[in-house]
Amino acid sequence: MSASMRLLVRRAIRLSDTNIQISAAARAAARAAARSSSCRCFSDAAEDRSTHFGFETVPETEKAKRVYKVFENVAQRYDIMNDAMSLGIHRVWKDMLLHAMHPQPGVRLLDVAGGTGDISFRFLEYVRSQQERQKRRAARSMQTPSWQDISNNYSTEDEDGPLESRAVVCDINKEMLKVGKQKADSMGISTGLSWVVGDAEELPFDDDQFDIYTIAFGIRNVTHIDQALQEALRVLKPGGRFMCLEFSKVTNPVLARLYDAYSFQMIPVLGEVIAGDWKSYQYLVESIRKFPDQEEFTGMIEDAGFYCVQYRNLTGGVVALHSGFKL
Amino acid sequence: MAALLRGVRAGRALRGLSSVVAAPTATTPQCSSLSRGFHRAAPRLQDDFKSDKPPPSSSSTTFHEHYQAHSAEQDNTATASHEGAAAEQASRPNTSYQDQSGEQGEEYETEEQLQARILTAALEFVPLHGWSMEAIASGAETLGLSSASTGMFNNGAGDLVLHFITQCNSQLTEILAEQHKQVQLGQAESKATADFLRDAVETRLRMYIPYIESWPQAMSILLLPHNIPDSLKHLSTLVDDIWYYAGDRSTDMNWYTKRAALTGIYNTTELVMLQDSSPDFEDTWNFLDNRIQDVVNMASTAKQVQSTGEAVVQGLMGAAFTLKNLTGLNQRR
Repeated sequence: MSASMRLLVRRAIRLSDTNIQISAAARAAARAAARSSSCRCFSDAAEDRSTHFGFETVPETEKAKRVYKVFENVAQRYDIMNDAMSLGIHRVWKDMLLHAMHPQPGVRLLDVAGGTGDISFRFLEYVRSQQERQKRRAARSMQTPSWQDISNNYSTEDEDGPLESRAVVCDINKEMLKVGKQKADSMGISTGLSWVVGDAEELPFDDDQFDIYTIAFGIRNVTHIDQALQEALRVLKPGGRFMCLEFSKVTNPVLARLYDAYSFQMIPVLGEVIAGDWKSYQYLVESIRKFPDQEEFTGMIEDAGFYCVQYRNLTGGVVALHSGFKL
Repeated sequence: MAALLRGVRAGRALRGLSSVVAAPTATTPQCSSLSRGFHRAAPRLQDDFKSDKPPPSSSSTTFHEHYQAHSAEQDNTATASHEGAAAEQASRPNTSYQDQSGEQGEEYETEEQLQARILTAALEFVPLHGWSMEAIASGAETLGLSSASTGMFNNGAGDLVLHFITQCNSQLTEILAEQHKQVQLGQAESKATADFLRDAVETRLRMYIPYIESWPQAMSILLLPHNIPDSLKHLSTLVDDIWYYAGDRSTDMNWYTKRAALTGIYNTTELVMLQDSSPDFEDTWNFLDNRIQDVVNMASTAKQVQSTGEAVVQGLMGAAFTLKNLTGLNQRR
């Protein structure tokens, strides 16, 4: 870990000659963070509590603003960057999230930090294809319908209304939501989808509203993770499910070394080349390292009040899928 | 992955248990869910130590020892199948804990008990949806939970079928124990072994009658490779129970042969029942009768064959000796 830190600082100093601006204060803070152990530190003064922003230490009030700016900058190229950085594997991760979710028809989904809407689109498609399969199965079992069945069918065609699944995409960042809305329009998805601006720590919804709450690759950007978890518990119906897809600790040491090298050396370069933004992707890989590991996060979810909390490692621990129930 | 999760849960269970044993009465407001489950177990543990019974574990186990079969049935609050009585018994010693920790809602039962309740509620939707996640979702909805809670059941329909089997097995054990008690009290006569087996298998198979339409689907689910260990375990427990209450205390090869025979009878009768269309499944019970008769006959036939074989061998040896005499090989010169 210290080797990559030194690499990071050396690169930072070298590239300060180019157009990339790294403020002296940030550099000093990075060096200071590199010297000390990389753990979250909260100062004792009540109003001056600080948290981590990547490997920097910033006041809590500032973190949200800086995260907002990061995602404002990357919003337009977000999807392309995702494909480039993960070599398209992020699609598999999101499909596995949907598969684990296995939503029944008629559920309401809240996709927090949903941004460009990947999860919500997959959710709607999954539910639609399931409903089609059910209809096909029902049709097959009634190959020669009697008059009674046909007349019943005419009256039950309206029943699709109550079984309609709905997805709500909530994000703190308007730019990300804008990109998502454009995507939805181009894909022609309009029914069953709504876009809401909201803070994960303070959701603009009533209690007991949603069946499933997902947060994919967003919870590490939240300043107070436990507040976000408590909000999740609040808006879920009894029996509702909390699902979180997030980068996590790689268990295999060989893979961990490769992953670290790839993260710190390739990803910011890709960020600069494709999106023209080195710092945001530097923040991304640093924030992954600061996020608690699988077991610790499971403990946090349980403390918030969820039951049957489990996690699954995807791609050897690069991504972990946590799931808990409000019972 | 499943092993990892089980290991994780076991580790957490150990931690929870140690924390509870250390401070059984003090509860902090932020106790984890598992230690909540163990707080329920704590008063039970204390009661059990007093009454000298085995302490129940919070993980649902279907294993039960025969020696404690009677007493355990009243006290066995940990098995999922007894969750009806368990919820009652668990809520009684727990009113004090509810006040202490100030929790509300589902906190007075463990996750396994809630899962058992959902599956029991799901059973009434099986004729409509078959043995599937939709049935479980409908069951959860009747309990007031969102259909997303079906995600708790990683094995999906397999969980539902196995739960039903466990329920049937424990019902049968209760009935057999009741009959045994009646015989011991002298209020009823003990039956012959063949009749006892016949009645036990018939009682057990009659529990399938409400679901007989979809039972082939359930059997195919039980035959899936990841369900086979569990279904075999349930089957062997069932057969073992029936033989125990039939009075079998053998300790030699007979133990295996008897159980193998009964397993064969049970499985074949179940298959016949699936295709039976006679009123009240008469054909099935006739088939069952014949199979049990076969086994009984087989036992006596085996003895006859053995003695006949011995006699034949002796006769052959005598014939060979006579031949040797006739040909002069037996002479000593």
